Amino acid sequence: MAASVCRVGSTVGRVLAKTRSELQPILLSLRRGQASVSYAQSLAGAPETHVSVLDNGLRIASEDTGHATCTVGVWISAGSRYESEKNNGAGFFLEHMAFKGTKKHPQTALEQQVESMGAHLSAYTSREHTAFYMKTFTKDLPKAVELLSDVVQNCTLNEADIEQQRSVVLREMEEVEGNLQEVCLDLLHATAYQGTPLGQSVLGPSSNARNLTRQDLVDYVSSHYKGPRMVLAAAGGVNHDELVGMAKSHFSGLSFQYEGDAVPVLSPCRFTGSEICMRDDGLPLAHIAIAVEGASVSSPDIVPLMVANAIVGSYDLTYGGGKTQHLSSRLARLAVEDNLCHSFQAFHSAYSDTGLLGIYFVSDKHHIDDMMHWTQNAWMNLCTTVTDSDVVRAQNALKASLIAQLNGTTPICDDIGRQVLNYGRRIPLAEWSARIDAVTPRMVRDICSKYIYDKCPAVAAVGPIEQLPDYNRMRSAMYWLRF
Amino acid sequence: MMSTVIRPGVFSSYYQVTKHGVKSLVLPGAKELLPAAAPAGTRLAHTDIKIPDFSDYRRPEVLNPQKSSQESSEARRAFSYLVTGVTTVIGVYAAKTVVTQFISSMSASADVLALSKIEIKLGDIPEGKNMTFKWRGKPLFVRHRTEKEIAAEADVNLGELRDPQHDKDRVLNPKWVIVLGVCTHLGCVPIANAGEYGGYYCPCHGSHYDASGRIRKGPAPLNLEVPYYEFPDEETVIVG
Repeated sequence: MAASVCRVGSTVGRVLAKTRSELQPILLSLRRGQASVSYAQSLAGAPETHVSVLDNGLRIASEDTGHATCTVGVWISAGSRYESEKNNGAGFFLEHMAFKGTKKHPQTALEQQVESMGAHLSAYTSREHTAFYMKTFTKDLPKAVELLSDVVQNCTLNEADIEQQRSVVLREMEEVEGNLQEVCLDLLHATAYQGTPLGQSVLGPSSNARNLTRQDLVDYVSSHYKGPRMVLAAAGGVNHDELVGMAKSHFSGLSFQYEGDAVPVLSPCRFTGSEICMRDDGLPLAHIAIAVEGASVSSPDIVPLMVANAIVGSYDLTYGGGKTQHLSSRLARLAVEDNLCHSFQAFHSAYSDTGLLGIYFVSDKHHIDDMMHWTQNAWMNLCTTVTDSDVVRAQNALKASLIAQLNGTTPICDDIGRQVLNYGRRIPLAEWSARIDAVTPRMVRDICSKYIYDKCPAVAAVGPIEQLPDYNRMRSAMYWLRF
Repeated sequence: MMSTVIRPGVFSSYYQVTKHGVKSLVLPGAKELLPAAAPAGTRLAHTDIKIPDFSDYRRPEVLNPQKSSQESSEARRAFSYLVTGVTTVIGVYAAKTVVTQFISSMSASADVLALSKIEIKLGDIPEGKNMTFKWRGKPLFVRHRTEKEIAAEADVNLGELRDPQHDKDRVLNPKWVIVLGVCTHLGCVPIANAGEYGGYYCPCHGSHYDASGRIRKGPAPLNLEVPYYEFPDEETVIVG
């Protein structure tokens, strides 16, 4: 009896041994699918951003990613916030004029040079930053830096070109009217920061587009394009020392002194809880943004607020899955189940000393009231009932999105440029990751309460907004009756 | 390729790029802002919208556009809530007053209330005498006691009494005894200055009361009822 059991035992054992050895190759191949480097290691191994400074204050920052292409550009602390009512729109107009040629490279010559390299020359203007950048092969970096330096420093600003560009600018302003998201968010800034330079839009009023003179543009350049306020940023297969050499030869002429010592100083901008409604029942969808005053870029609260926004999340109709999709954001789940909106997103526009923390959504005219209710409910939940699992999920989502954004030399270069302007250095991903990991639910609740709870919001609404609640009701939804 | 990209930089977590290919579409000399092709009509540039100056309505702490409104926000809110709170309290009180006024209009009127009190001139009652008044439909005895009677009543041993009460608990001013003239047995009216105890005697069933109106002998269980009264001055008493 015992012997037969043993024999069974041994056959079973032999079978197991055989399976184990047969399985081993499969197991090894499974391990081959795993990353050989851990997340922390890969962050620590990311290339370092080198920063140098020239004598005239120009900072040069670059990251050598080893690519065969690169993006190089000039980021400037100038934008609509530095403009007055009289010259609002000058920065935007200047951007149009930038590619109209310089003394050394008239328009056709400039275009020809850029095209022959196969490069892309672009620019953008925002409220606090202006950027001119070029995407090109790494081997063409010297030429790119030369062209950029010419464009930024020596723009001819031909009178005839200016006149011609006026109608272009006006036409562009007209086109922007069709982008209701831009309109809504511009109106949000206009009402939230009413009476201050941050309330001005980048494009400026149409009257300025018609009346800005060459002198206005020249004055704008001479008062804002100064060395200490500029960064030459590059990302790609870029050698930092070579780049510094190129900068020295092309950008040494940048001035660092202001006329009459009139250094433009940014004064704080007052936030006003207010509302602007641009009702138009002919539009199919309503675009609504609600925001409170948020944190500045350099505030320590910025990371917990980013986590908080990741908890609220975003959604739009293109998220596949229909009603069965398992969306982790509570607001997104409600939006899908009750058809509350076409899309929504939580945003945080951070400026140097203030910010707008808000939620923007697009919905049809019968669901605005419900969507606004649940939006504000999501904010109240952030202030009161955030849980551990919410925060962990948001941390992961945030870390993933921060890293995923940097998927090319241009996003990296833009990141470098803006961060050096904002912080004076590039915050490495490992540091971002550590700061995100340090966020606890308690921190999220406390910090959200500090910025959101019982504060007057700014609301901007465009479209068929009859159902938008009265401001006093929206204000009342910024706190809960809890004792 | 050269392109102009407008990126107002609103969203920090994702980029938005609007490219406008404008070079080929411009007609020289075209200066007017063409109407937007929106089906509902013309919409002018949103950047031309000027937010009005609300300085006339602002609180002093937020008049300066170059000063952050955060510092004063708590104080402003506290003021608003305080004003709201105080107004609510006052409003509730006012509402309560109005409501009580309307409801109390249904209560007894002044002439009816007047009947509930009786004012008696004490000077009309000689010492040792008892006077009877009609009050609230019942007889009211007002007795002007002599010193001997007062002393005698004060000395009574409470153990003897069926309904023990000291004299001083039954009178405000020992000279005056004011009681209801209703026998506590079955409701007859006792006779004054009669009975074995120098007080009252009820003829129906033989209850004897003393000069303080306390039951001493007979079937009555309790002392004569003492109503509420007060002396506004030496010469008058108001009962009720």
